[in-house]
Amino acid sequence: MITNPPTASTERSRDAKRRKKKKTQEREDEKQPRWKSQAQQQIYSSKLRQALARVNLGSASPKGKAVREAADRVLAVTAKGRTRWSRAILTNRLKLKFTKHKRQRRARVSVHRLKAKGGASVQRKVRFLGRLVPGCRKEPLPVVLEEAIDYIPALEMQVRAMNALFNLLSAASSSSSSS
Amino acid sequence: MLHCANTSGNLAGDMTVWERQRARMKWQEEQGYFSAFDALFSSSSQDSFLLPADSGCALGEVVAQAQAQPQPKPRPMNKPSVHGFDESSSISRTFSCPPALVEPRPTGSSIGKESSKKRKPEKLHNAKFVTENDTKDKRIKLGSDDDEQSKITGSPNSNANTDSNKRETCADTSNSKQNSKVSEIQNQKPDYIHVRARRGQATDSHSLAERVSILSQLFTQVRREKISERMKYLQDLVPGCNKITGKAGMLDEIINYVQSLQRQVEFLSMKLAAVNPRLDLSIDDLFEKEVFPCAANFPNIGMSSDLTNSGYVQFNSPQEMVSYGGLDTVINPPYMGLKRSISAHVSVPETYLHSVGFSSLNFPIPSCYIAQFDLIFLIM
Repeated sequence: MITNPPTASTERSRDAKRRKKKKTQEREDEKQPRWKSQAQQQIYSSKLRQALARVNLGSASPKGKAVREAADRVLAVTAKGRTRWSRAILTNRLKLKFTKHKRQRRARVSVHRLKAKGGASVQRKVRFLGRLVPGCRKEPLPVVLEEAIDYIPALEMQVRAMNALFNLLSAASSSSSSS
Repeated sequence: MLHCANTSGNLAGDMTVWERQRARMKWQEEQGYFSAFDALFSSSSQDSFLLPADSGCALGEVVAQAQAQPQPKPRPMNKPSVHGFDESSSISRTFSCPPALVEPRPTGSSIGKESSKKRKPEKLHNAKFVTENDTKDKRIKLGSDDDEQSKITGSPNSNANTDSNKRETCADTSNSKQNSKVSEIQNQKPDYIHVRARRGQATDSHSLAERVSILSQLFTQVRREKISERMKYLQDLVPGCNKITGKAGMLDEIINYVQSLQRQVEFLSMKLAAVNPRLDLSIDDLFEKEVFPCAANFPNIGMSSDLTNSGYVQFNSPQEMVSYGGLDTVINPPYMGLKRSISAHVSVPETYLHSVGFSSLNFPIPSCYIAQFDLIFLIM
C-alpha cells in the first residue's frame, strides 16, 4: 500500500522536475513560479519529506520550530531564489544556524509588532506587512506588494502540501503500526 | 514625449489629459484666470495657510476681486476653481506638510476623500502617496484642473517636496519630456509668467518648478499605477477583498491573510512533527525487515561523510540545487557522527540523488547503499 503512491509520486516529481527544467526557461518572465501547479506541489512535497526525515532526530526539543523552519526553507528553495523573501529565508536560516541566536531573533520580531501595531496609517501597515513577508522589512510599498503577490500563493501551496503530506504520513504510519 | 510617457508608465490617458490641459489653458487665458489663481495661491502659500472649510468662499472672493473682467458664468468657473484650488492647495499642503484640514470636495472620489484624510499626520514619504492620489483624482476629473495645478505647484512650497520626489526618479527621458512640456506651456502662457514676476518670484523658478512639478507628477503617476495594479492583483489573490477599496483596507486584509496562512503552516508543522517519530520508526522497521548487507552502518559514519562530501563535489556542477545542496552539506556533516540514525545519514546522499535526478547518478555507491536508497524511495 505504501509502495504504490509514493513511487508514483516520486516518479511524477522526477518527471515534473525534468519538465520543469525546460519550462522555467520558457516561463522566466512570469510573475509566479506557478505555485498553483500540481508539479510544484509535488516537488515541494518530495523535498519536504526528505527534509523532515533529516530533521526528525536532529533537534528534539524545538521540534515544532525545526519542522516549520525546514518547511520554510524547502519552500524558499522551491522558489529558486527569484524573490526577495525566498532569498531572505535561505540566508536567514544559514545565519541562524551559524550564530545560534534563533530565540533572540524571534523576540525582536514580536517586539516590533507590538510597537508598530498602534496607529492605523498606511505606512505602518506597509512596515508591518514587510515584517510578515520575510526579507521585506524596510522596503517601500510597491516592493512589499510585489513580494506579497508571490509569497501568498507560495504559502497556500505550502499549506496544501503539508496537509497532503500529513494525511499521507499519518495513513502510512497508522497502517504500518497496525500491520 | 507623450509616447515615451505612454510606453514607460502605461499612461493611456495622458495624451488626452495634456490635450485637454492645453485647451483649457487657452480657455482660461481668455478668462484671465491665471492671474487670479496665481495671486491667490502665491499669497496663500507665503502665508503658510490653513485651509478652512469655507475656502471656496474665500477663493470666490479673491477671484472676484482679482479679475478685472466680469465673469459671464460664475458658477462653472467657481466649480473648477474650487476643484483646482482644492487639489492644488492640497498638493501644496502635502508638500509643505502643514497641519491642514480636510477640504470639502464636491465631486471627490472615495479614494480622493481617503487621501485627503490621510494627509493630516503624514510625513514626507506619505506625501508622495497623496500626490499620487491627487494625480489620479485629477485624471478622474477629466484633467480639468491639471493646468491650474501645474501652475500652482510652481510655488516655492512645491519645490522642497518635488525635489524629494525627484530623488526617487531616475529617468532622463522623462526629464526631456518635462522640459518639452514645460516649454509648451510657457509658450502658451505669457501672462502667467508676467504675473509671477510681479509677485516677486523669479521666472527661472517658474520654469524649474514647473519642470520639477511635472516630473514629479509623471513619476508619481507611474508609481501610483504600479501600486494600484499590484493591489488589484492582490485583490484576486486574497479571498474576500472584492468589496474593499482603498489601500488601508486592502493592506489590512492582506496582513490578516498572510498571518492566517503562516499560522496554518505553524499548526501543520506541529502536526507533522507529531507524526514524524512514527515515520522514523516505520522506516527503521522496514530497514530491519529488508535485507541489506551493511547491517552495521555505524562504523561507516566516517565513510559516509566522505561519500557525501565527494558526492557534493560532484553534484556541485549540475545546476539547480546547488544552493540547497551547499547548505545541507555544510550543515549535515557536523551532525553526521553525532545523533544520526540509519535513516538519517542514509537519507542524506539520497537527497543529492533526488535533487539531481537518477539519470545523472555518477558517484560510486556501494551496493548496500543502493539497496537502502531503493528502500527509502519505496517508503517515501
